[in-house]
Amino acid sequence: MRNLLKWLYRVEDGLLVALLLAMIVLAGVDILARLALGSGMAWIAPVLRVLVLWIGLLGALVATRSREHIAIDVLSRFAPVPVRTAMHFVAAAFAAFICLALAYYSKNFVQTAYEFGDKAFSDVPAWLLQLIIPITFGLMGLRFTVQAVQALLPSSQKVTA
Amino acid sequence: MSMLVPVVLLLLALAGAPLFAIIAASAMWGFWQADVDLQTMAINIYQIAEMPVLVAIPLFTFAGYLLGESKAPQRLVRITDAFLGWMPGGLAVVALTACALFTAFTGASGVTIVALGALLVPALQKAGYPEKFNLGLVTTSGSLGLLFAPSLPLILYGVVAQQMALETPVSIDSLFVAGILPGLLMLVALSLYSAWQSRGMVRETHPFNKKEAWAALKDSAWELPLPVVILGGIYSGYFAVSEAAALTAFYVLVVSVVIRREISLRRLPVVMRDSMKLVGAILLILGVSLASTNYMIDAGIPEQIFNFIQQHISSPITFLLLLTLFLLVLGMMLDIFSAIVIMIPIILPIAVQYGIHPIHLGILFLANMQLGYFTPPVGMNLFIASFRFNKPVMQLYLATIPFFFILLACVLVITFWPWLSLGML
Repeated sequence: MRNLLKWLYRVEDGLLVALLLAMIVLAGVDILARLALGSGMAWIAPVLRVLVLWIGLLGALVATRSREHIAIDVLSRFAPVPVRTAMHFVAAAFAAFICLALAYYSKNFVQTAYEFGDKAFSDVPAWLLQLIIPITFGLMGLRFTVQAVQALLPSSQKVTA
Repeated sequence: MSMLVPVVLLLLALAGAPLFAIIAASAMWGFWQADVDLQTMAINIYQIAEMPVLVAIPLFTFAGYLLGESKAPQRLVRITDAFLGWMPGGLAVVALTACALFTAFTGASGVTIVALGALLVPALQKAGYPEKFNLGLVTTSGSLGLLFAPSLPLILYGVVAQQMALETPVSIDSLFVAGILPGLLMLVALSLYSAWQSRGMVRETHPFNKKEAWAALKDSAWELPLPVVILGGIYSGYFAVSEAAALTAFYVLVVSVVIRREISLRRLPVVMRDSMKLVGAILLILGVSLASTNYMIDAGIPEQIFNFIQQHISSPITFLLLLTLFLLVLGMMLDIFSAIVIMIPIILPIAVQYGIHPIHLGILFLANMQLGYFTPPVGMNLFIASFRFNKPVMQLYLATIPFFFILLACVLVITFWPWLSLGML
């Protein structure tokens, strides 16, 4: 289990870094092409836009690991420990529920695009590009579930999610 | 039931639930009530892949993180000191200018305090400024520069405003121009205060030294073209924002990893990953807000709020005053990125009805948010500074008070003198 998680983290990090590198290189090539040829290459712009989505969602998934999502962190700073525990649990459980619901509905969305054979650009099937949405929300949902359970454990038993 | 859901969501938000989940839940609840298939959530999130300007966000954020990890902050302080250090209150002016520049390029995420504060506080101390002043100055400067191109909040405001399809177009380029004078006003006001603070101090300034200025220039030779090319390119219209971002990211990557070798190849993936966590957090909130915005516009919520407000407030001046109060409170609770994507879709249509120019609204909104960064009790930069300098938050509350009132005065000027934002358009 530990190893599986470690492997998953590697894949997420690696993919995120590779996509960002690809974005930097492609965006650079696009400018050079515009300067040299007068116009950018037609396929680069849509690829860059899809990269934004993938990088954003993967970044959000990685941020879930280290609990770095943007939140209003006012009350828990001043709350006594038992209240804080309850708040952590409720917050994480709620986020888990919403993420899993989003994963479910975006799975339907991808399925529809698959059945209708939607094309994104050139001949790339749209469902392939959309697949990242249910995958990342599903994993985020699982991660928040683990964090909700952890909130209830005594602090000595906490394992890294 | 219909009142209960918003209240529960608000409580969840206060309990620390991630904001994207709160926004997504409110949109899903709305669509559910209106019998809209919830697949629409995914359709809205996928819209992120349909906005070309968003490419700028990961690229600028990455470049900012990389600059913060390199030795660029040291060089920035050195060069500003060489050129501005001779003025009265010189070092304080140096601190303000360096922070403003750095914040504009790194997107106001608290990075400035972490990267520059550690250099500036001891230097100010040595020059003889009281500790209270130093801490206040650096904490305040952490959000200064927000109004200068190519800051991320300005870009994000443009993106959100463009989604609203208003009659007056809101281009990001004109936002960049509109921010110049209001940003300078804040910078000058704080510099004057600093000069006044340094009166009667043992002369802490040093005369302008040609040799040091030249050495500092040579030291920063690789960074110098960056602001010139980027700002020149953007303001002249030669580069689109996303192209400027691509150039910045590529250039900073090559300089800090290949040429200067200040970031090792082993360190690079870590910096990339960490910067993309912030990008992910911002874009996720943006994605779900696109859904909630769509729902709100369909349901006519801004009109309802406008009709309600208009029964009580008819003059734009009263409206602006109340808006300022509201934004100050909002800025304390919400970080700037969430504030933009959550509140602008509601506030902008209302403000337009009161005859406020969308670009002016953007500038005054961000200026208010800048104050919120260090408004007690919960402004984010107060905690970052408290952590960074290892001082109790209480001490920082007190230290930032004079700076707060100076900038509040600036915000009021910006709010009630639209020319300052619109005059150069």
